[in-house]
Amino acid sequence: MRKRLGLLFWVSAVYIGVLVFLALFRDLLPIRDPDALGIRTGDCRQFQDPGWNSYFGCDNLGRDLFSQVVHGVRPALFLGFTVTIVSGTVGTLLGVLAGFLRGVFDRVVTTIIDISLAFPAIVLLIAVRASFGNGIVVFIVLFSVLGIPGYARIVRGASLSLSEREFVDAAAAMGATNWRIVRRELLPNVFLPVLSFAFIGFAVVILAEGGLAFIGLSLDQITWGKLINDGRVEIRDHPHLALIPSTVMFGTVLAFNLVGDGLRSLVAPREVATARRLIAEGSHQPGEEGAVVHVRNLRTVLHTPGGTVEPVDDVSFSVAPGESLGIVGESGSGKTMILRSIVGAFPLADVTRGGTVEVAGVDMLRSPDATIRRTLGTEIGMISQNPLTALNPVRRIGDQIIEPMLVHGTRSKQEARDRALELLEQVGIPAPEQRLREYPHQLSGGMRQRATIAIALANEPQLLLADEPTTALDVTVQDQILRLLDGLRADRGMALVLVTHDLAVVKGFTDSVAIVYAGQVVEYGPTAEIFANPQHRYTVALIRSMPNLDLPSHSELATIEGAPPSLIDPPTGCRFADRCPAVQQKCRDESPVRSGTDAHSYSCWFPMSAQPVEVS
Amino acid sequence: MAGTGKAHLRDGATLEVHDLVVEFPGPKKSVVHAVSGVSFDLNTGETLGVVGESGCGKTTTGRAIMQLEEATAGSIILRGQDLCDLRGPALRSARRAMQMIFQDPVSSLNPSRRVKDIVREGLDIWGDPDGSFSADRIDEILDAVGLGGADVGERRPHEFSGGQCQRICIARALVMDPEVLILDEPVSALDVSVQAQILNLLQQLKDRFGLTMMFISHDLAVVKNISDRVMVMYLGKVCETAPTDQLYANPAHPYSRALLASIPGHNLDLPPASELISGELPSPIDPPSGCRFRTRCPAATDRCAAEEPILQAVGDDHYVACHHPVAVSL
Repeated sequence: MRKRLGLLFWVSAVYIGVLVFLALFRDLLPIRDPDALGIRTGDCRQFQDPGWNSYFGCDNLGRDLFSQVVHGVRPALFLGFTVTIVSGTVGTLLGVLAGFLRGVFDRVVTTIIDISLAFPAIVLLIAVRASFGNGIVVFIVLFSVLGIPGYARIVRGASLSLSEREFVDAAAAMGATNWRIVRRELLPNVFLPVLSFAFIGFAVVILAEGGLAFIGLSLDQITWGKLINDGRVEIRDHPHLALIPSTVMFGTVLAFNLVGDGLRSLVAPREVATARRLIAEGSHQPGEEGAVVHVRNLRTVLHTPGGTVEPVDDVSFSVAPGESLGIVGESGSGKTMILRSIVGAFPLADVTRGGTVEVAGVDMLRSPDATIRRTLGTEIGMISQNPLTALNPVRRIGDQIIEPMLVHGTRSKQEARDRALELLEQVGIPAPEQRLREYPHQLSGGMRQRATIAIALANEPQLLLADEPTTALDVTVQDQILRLLDGLRADRGMALVLVTHDLAVVKGFTDSVAIVYAGQVVEYGPTAEIFANPQHRYTVALIRSMPNLDLPSHSELATIEGAPPSLIDPPTGCRFADRCPAVQQKCRDESPVRSGTDAHSYSCWFPMSAQPVEVS
Repeated sequence: MAGTGKAHLRDGATLEVHDLVVEFPGPKKSVVHAVSGVSFDLNTGETLGVVGESGCGKTTTGRAIMQLEEATAGSIILRGQDLCDLRGPALRSARRAMQMIFQDPVSSLNPSRRVKDIVREGLDIWGDPDGSFSADRIDEILDAVGLGGADVGERRPHEFSGGQCQRICIARALVMDPEVLILDEPVSALDVSVQAQILNLLQQLKDRFGLTMMFISHDLAVVKNISDRVMVMYLGKVCETAPTDQLYANPAHPYSRALLASIPGHNLDLPPASELISGELPSPIDPPSGCRFRTRCPAATDRCAAEEPILQAVGDDHYVACHHPVAVSL
């Protein structure tokens, strides 16, 4: 916690703590009377400079600036605190009720917020000050009323999205009253954002008092704003009179803002923008003739702020033209990172890749950038899980298909347009002329995925990389898309790499399969062979845990106990050891070596085909 | 597909849903017909699987039963009491008898509360009728869902994996001793090995506590595993309902056949899905006349456009809403 908030947060917190102490105990402190006239008592000369006699110097009447500043702490904090409590409480209640109840109540609250935000606050201030005088209560009421809309707005937004969450539905299903839902489910979850906003609001109140003092509207006691305003007259000859209270006020505002920001970072951690570098290690080992994509001993290391992660550890495979490879694994297994390692696209982090990645004869790790970009654009097509985010929502489908052809100069504009039409027909989009001019939101989910496939095919790539291409789609649409991909692979002789968590998809649509567990390929071979004769214990467990239409209903499914190991500090030995039903001591001590044949290999000390081992 | 008709309803069911209609306001004063005249029932100790693709109305049906969506018409009768008539405290009280499990287990748990407090929330609201729900009872329920261990109750949801969060949700529902448990895609967000754990757990709990469940899912293999009976829905209507093994062995409705044929790598004796279904899902704002599946059905005739099919028996406890069902071998 301390580390996450940072040093500045804690310095600011201590500063605020000192201010609170001064506000509470100023009368017990050995400081001079701020109103004592030094020129009369002889304690201080007129406009004396800061020194040991008076730390902050003295004003035109010899009054001690240090004790005046200390006396200004209490009104500043008192005003900030009461205003924050009042406007925070009222604003939070209004906001949470508007966000939860919606309907008429919400419309009334939002209308009031909109009006009050448009209202010129300064006019109100002058008018109220003129009618009700300059007592502190007037300021508290005024600032509180002005502060409410800010709180109401952020809390309403947070409550709206919280109300969509299932735990609110679950509480309603439990028979909880609306008030109980607000109190138990919503308020605790808006507390931290409100608190962070409150610190910033606190600072705004202190600033506002200073601003009002500047135009002569301040409290009837010593305030920082007043001190600054008085000192301003002598700024040329005696700058310390204005600068010191200004600095104190500046520091206070900064401290409150920093604490508020620190608290906000607990709610929504800010992205640490690390410089992104791609580093290649080791040397290139040319692949065998005929493979479109050739990956050998690929090792990918991400250097993130949270630690070093190795999501791809010694992965090898190759795919020939017209063949399809399935990469299967559970979430966090690193299957998507294998695809990212091929194309070199990573989230913000420094990445080291070692080993060989070769696509259409090009070394994808060590070639010049221009070569890699051209290979990416012309030899590789990518299809992602969510077609809606893969498409640019404000550009027409046609323009998005034409773009890659124009960028890589593979076709003229007219040729590209003709080709786009042809592509839409090939991916089975009806009325392609019309679709070219439409935007992504006008298409159904299945049609959008067809459109992304058309984009991927634009430059006739040799390799198609599909990352969970049908996970977001319905089963009948999934069937259509998988058949489309399969047909394109067969007709065009493309190599297809299909990353999925779904064994059924792999079983139906791939020639070979790589089973990924904790960053490693634990078994690799022809799909039919692996389903008929799995060797690695993880593969076996995965296949048996899949609900299967061939089993009668209510069959008990095999499960895998425990959870996969962390990739930040993976265990020595076999990474599946802790969850394996056939684990032996050897599995924990030594990493299994790859065994089997080139066609069907697996990394297991005690594969299914081995002699039954004696349980030790 | 029409799915109106009640030939399939039984006497003495725990939960009866009659002619349920749920409509939402659509853009430009149009009406979204989410659920249009759905009837079904649930017997005690039975698991009904509700299957269909997005937009078929399966989730809306579940939420309407839970009174989380307002039914436009129809009745939802639990133990003789029509829930649609209830308001205010009477409704809150009736809700205790039904509980729901949602798709996203992480979002289903309030991140700022401890597991212990989440699980005993129902007791905090309704009190502890016979004093049996001591702290021991909470531990017992947590243990039943596979979360034994002393300190589980003291921890907060973010310390648990998705599968464990779903177990906590199940515990929270079980504490209420519900007569009906509605599960909306409860394993869709989970990995296959974790999914198997939750499915096995639900089966165990059903055997142990005699749970009555409505299991909503798009995944036909999952539904087959967990259900005693299955109901297939399309565009707000019921297509077909039958005992599980019967429906998977002998799907009679063209849409059921298309769904099954679409499963990758299946070994069923069915033509390719592309021969069983064509085109795109029509808009629920302006659904087709007559049978709603006719625009995509290879067997559609003029009659399908003119006349809405009614659920009728084609086999033992096997009902289909289709003018041209595929013959069922018994």
